[in-house]
Amino acid sequence: MYKIMMFEGGVYKFNELRELIEDIGGFIVQELVMQTDTILHMAFPEEEEREIRNKVKELGGKLIDLPLAGTEIVVVTPSLGKHHAVNPLCDIGEYLRRKGAITNMMGLARGVGKRIAQITAEEKMIMEECDAVVFVFGNLKECMAEKAKIFDAVNVPYLIVGGPPDLELEHYLGGIGRRTDRMRRKEEFDTLEAMASKLGEILDERRKEVEEDPLAASPLFIKELIELVMPPKAGEDLPIIIHLDGLRVIIDEEEVARIRDIEGGKKKLSEICEIKKSLYRGYLLKILPEAVTGSVF
Amino acid sequence: MEVKVEGGDDFANTSYGKICQDTFRDLGVRTSIDHTYLYIDPKEPVFLISVKIGRVASPLKVRDVTQPEIDKLKITDEKFAPKILAVLWDKYGARVHQIGRLEIGLKVDEREAEAVKELVVYDPREDLIPRILDGIDRILPEGARVRYPIPSPRRITIIASENPIGEEWKKKAEELVRVLGDDV
Repeated sequence: MYKIMMFEGGVYKFNELRELIEDIGGFIVQELVMQTDTILHMAFPEEEEREIRNKVKELGGKLIDLPLAGTEIVVVTPSLGKHHAVNPLCDIGEYLRRKGAITNMMGLARGVGKRIAQITAEEKMIMEECDAVVFVFGNLKECMAEKAKIFDAVNVPYLIVGGPPDLELEHYLGGIGRRTDRMRRKEEFDTLEAMASKLGEILDERRKEVEEDPLAASPLFIKELIELVMPPKAGEDLPIIIHLDGLRVIIDEEEVARIRDIEGGKKKLSEICEIKKSLYRGYLLKILPEAVTGSVF
Repeated sequence: MEVKVEGGDDFANTSYGKICQDTFRDLGVRTSIDHTYLYIDPKEPVFLISVKIGRVASPLKVRDVTQPEIDKLKITDEKFAPKILAVLWDKYGARVHQIGRLEIGLKVDEREAEAVKELVVYDPREDLIPRILDGIDRILPEGARVRYPIPSPRRITIIASENPIGEEWKKKAEELVRVLGDDV
């Protein structure tokens, strides 16, 4: 299993770190060089962490754990009106991004109210494209209990956040409800941290499920294969997003055929992945388990 | 502005109290409101808000937001620049021209200069009610779209729910407005 961490440091002997990652069979997920500052998201086999730590120490950089890296999370609010957006939607989104996740935001068409709250089939399908969902509710217990029933139908791991600190709901975290200001005080940061770690736990369960029935190839490996054939264009913002069991590739319709024919080991991508158009953005590649496809190498 | 919230649990009451304070402050009407009463019944769900309008700030005149110089006016508060220009253009037409971001050229004799100073740029009374209504709209939960206003002097009272509002609630609200009207 891969561990994803972030390196922050200078450019001094930076190439040595890149080479080491390649040597131990790791991947570079994201790289950002700004003059003398370097930020690098890297994935490497868990057992090689000591090696990486030693190298980073030698380079004088910082190594930060990214518990949510390699996942795409959608933050959902009942609407995009003044009542629910922008606070605390952006605070949650930003905090999750700091923990390594790629985040999307979504306002429901008819999610407001108690009796009248609804979720459409299309909204549900868009949510299910992501690895996890964070539902942001308000401050009234009675309305939240009612609304939670609707979101029960969503088939991906989810976390409900809302105002009341004590509410008996599954996957619930209090302290982040309807707000009129930003979350910038210490105790509010603690709440956001608790949210991130709870989400981490939920995602770890999902990771374990994926591990029990291993995928034909790691999404990180497939990302690298795609990048070999279709190098990212300059200035393009995250053309490939990694999921726990697949990828979201932002490409045009005419490029899909090229993706299908990419070869990894003995098999083509079309043989080891289910490729379908996303309702939201780009194309989704769902990697099939090795038990279905047979060995790739 | 005093805020009283009743009907919900402790957490809901405190948080809605804060929402009332912050929303009215953001809209700049907090000083013009004497008292806000909010009743929450999340079980029904029905919400009732009653805002008592207090003293409103006096109208802003040209002399409050500009400094006279020779043949021109210097704007001291840029926020009102478009309004000052509109008022002056309206009154003096082509004699007014904008020199810079904070300078307006206007050639007037002494007598006229006094009259210019007394022109009203902005009267907070003009849009007080729309701003309070906007605030109320932001405070009441978005789902409570069915609204019923209760008319009374110097007070804005609105019942809101996602279900049709029954006679019983209307009567309750009228009674409450009567009691509140005497008290605060």
